[in-house]
Amino acid sequence: MNEEKLIVETRDLCKNFGPTVALDHVSIKIYRGQITGLIGENGSGKSTITSILSGMQPPTSGEMFFKGKPHKPSSMIEGAKLGIGMIVQEQGTVPGISIAENIFLGSENKFGRVFINKAAMVKEAQKALDAIGFTGVDAGAPIESLNMQDRKLVEIAKTVYEDPEVLVVDETTTALSQKGRDIIYGIMRKMRDEDKAVIFISHDLEELMETCDTLTVLRDGVLITTLSKEEMDEDVIKRCMVGREMTGDYYRSDFSQPVSDEVVLKVDNITSGFGMLMNFSMELHKGEILGIGGLSHCGMHELGKALFGEMKLLEGEVVDTRTGDKVNSARGALLKGYGYVSKDRDKEALVLTASIADNILAAGYDKLQKGLFLLPGDTKKYVNGLVDELSIKCASPAQDVQYLSGGNKQKVVFAKWVGRNCDILVLDCPTRGVDIGVKAAMYQLIDRMRRDGKSIVMISEELTELIGMCDRLLVLKDGQLAGEFTHAGGMNENQIIDVMI
Amino acid sequence: MEKDLNAKLEEAGRKKTASTKIDARLVGNIAPYAGLVLVVVVFAILTKGALLSVSNLQGMSSTVILTAMCAIGAVFVFGAGYFDMSIGGAVCLAAVLGAQAMIATGSFFVGFLAVLAVSIVLALLKSILAAYVNVPFFIFTIILSSIFSALVLVLMGNETTIYLRNAVKPLREFNFTEMSIISVVVLAAFFIFCVVVFKFTPLGLKAKNMGGNIISAKQSGIDTVKTTVKVFIMSALGVALAAFLLLLRTRTASASTAGTVGTDVMVALVLGGMPLSGGPRTKISAGLVGAVTITVLNSGLAILGLTTGQIQIARGLVFIVVVLVSSLSYRSKLLPR
Repeated sequence: MNEEKLIVETRDLCKNFGPTVALDHVSIKIYRGQITGLIGENGSGKSTITSILSGMQPPTSGEMFFKGKPHKPSSMIEGAKLGIGMIVQEQGTVPGISIAENIFLGSENKFGRVFINKAAMVKEAQKALDAIGFTGVDAGAPIESLNMQDRKLVEIAKTVYEDPEVLVVDETTTALSQKGRDIIYGIMRKMRDEDKAVIFISHDLEELMETCDTLTVLRDGVLITTLSKEEMDEDVIKRCMVGREMTGDYYRSDFSQPVSDEVVLKVDNITSGFGMLMNFSMELHKGEILGIGGLSHCGMHELGKALFGEMKLLEGEVVDTRTGDKVNSARGALLKGYGYVSKDRDKEALVLTASIADNILAAGYDKLQKGLFLLPGDTKKYVNGLVDELSIKCASPAQDVQYLSGGNKQKVVFAKWVGRNCDILVLDCPTRGVDIGVKAAMYQLIDRMRRDGKSIVMISEELTELIGMCDRLLVLKDGQLAGEFTHAGGMNENQIIDVMI
Repeated sequence: MEKDLNAKLEEAGRKKTASTKIDARLVGNIAPYAGLVLVVVVFAILTKGALLSVSNLQGMSSTVILTAMCAIGAVFVFGAGYFDMSIGGAVCLAAVLGAQAMIATGSFFVGFLAVLAVSIVLALLKSILAAYVNVPFFIFTIILSSIFSALVLVLMGNETTIYLRNAVKPLREFNFTEMSIISVVVLAAFFIFCVVVFKFTPLGLKAKNMGGNIISAKQSGIDTVKTTVKVFIMSALGVALAAFLLLLRTRTASASTAGTVGTDVMVALVLGGMPLSGGPRTKISAGLVGAVTITVLNSGLAILGLTTGQIQIARGLVFIVVVLVSSLSYRSKLLPR
């Protein structure tokens, strides 16, 4: 590679979050006139690299060079000024203001010191939108007049308007339809042809192989390899990502058994208070792993809460068909043998400052209670048993949960429900931010529960794990059922994505 | 490669956790006692021994009992994440109503029942506000505190002090030794009762989980409303016992009864080593140890000749310093939610 074209270089970049190592001595080179792809599982460190590069967070150690000079941006604003633009996965527009105001957020001074010349701003914003080929919109309109996808395009227009020399596209395409994707691909190619650099992060292997000139694979914070266009091969990339041959054992292997006809839980036409779910119905069978998929804001996470009685419903009901009772409180659900693993582990599923023991006991104490009393001997035995069973790595159960790694934290959450021997488990993104070893253990645990006749609802943003684990998959879109797939009928990733978007 | 990395990760995790754990736990457990010893030694020297004179020890003991009773009960409430600033007001209101009941009936026993009933009604009122109204709880307690004082003034009418001496015949007055024995026995019994409830029934676990993270507590299936009622009842028992012992000892009640107890309780809990935001570091001993420390502090400052106003300022400063230091060392939030 022509070293004159080198624009970004990192040397031994490390980033630790407490005991969790997000980046482990990563040295990577980014060149002008290229689209560099970054791929890896969740938590492999892709976004960590770009967020450090753009100034969102500092590295723990290591060096960065931008255009040959040491690069230490103190904030995203400084990063952007230097010429690093970033389009991120999450929603980045501000509600309540116009499209133009969103585009020039933070740089309003261009249009007047005290009084802003709105007409000029709108005119300039229109130019920015036209530049990316996003036509037919009035830049003076409120941002709310656009749907989620078009708001993403506004963010793109904003980033491109600032004319960055390095453009980072971080898992943006999953939220976009073909039209939006084509716009992004077009921008990336244009920038490459203008001899600028593009870093493209995606989960979609096909998309990466088609768009990128080189592809760097990360795993658990370590740079595994960098492949040139010719070397890109699906199997090779996958093997690099997971670190071993992908075998059926990673997910569950047998889908041959038919699922029982017995319905254990019925959702009848529910509409949630926040309006994220609309007239949604479903049934859960005994011994079934039911997958729920969709884009982040499709209502699937609210559904998880609703199944555990933790969501206010405007209409409809969740019924435990074994007892005929409504499920309308977490306490009630718990007593009927339900368990719930929240997507937001640190905020909702754990008391971070409390010990492993106290966290596990929070859900299981009533099983151990003798009359009025809860005796230390019993609780110790219960907690130690679960720590062993789930092989939670800790010095002692008295240790605070906050210092555990993501995977071990998630094991503590699982222990709460494994200890209760729940019949119905609602898992919202159970493997989010969990390293690959723990992930495999989780899948095995989930599969074992299924074989024991438990019913599991698995909500996930990762299609591969849904396809790999579920008997049946419901896809939600805008709070409604958009499609249903069964393993018997075939689950094709592309078909599922088509339904999602 | 994979294996190496995992091993590395684990090792790093262990190192970090082991060292942090020892530091935090050790500091957290020893600091309150060290603080108590320090305060005693410093003021014993500054007051040239006057702090530890028999008469001053006698004076301090009755204050300690009052503050400790309230603070031990309050551990449950604060532990569950409720910042209650109305405890002093509750003691005063219970004492005044109890005194009036005693005068009306001539019976100490009826008076005791009245004190208990008032405390429990106030606790139920607070738990309803805490559990159902979506406004930070401490705001209610600020308002409740002034309502309680106002109620006392209304109840007292033209009187400034209620004297039980002439009205209540059946119970003779106790001398200092007798009163001390009664107080210590009641305090010890209440302390043990609270420790048992906190450690050997699910209430302590539930309160700690609620204080640590109420969302997680709910999602773990903890009945937060019932738990809220229970923690306020525990606090009410402390308030009732404190108010009753006060009546038994002083045989008077007035609008200024237990005037500084409210703030003393909060300072006591912090000095006793628990964050006022509650959660996992909650412990019953904080109420007792802290009550002794703050009483010694108050007494020492008074002997040194500080006026009431100056003592208030000094206590405020100590409070701020302790909150600051503990928020640095525990890395946990101390502000109420």
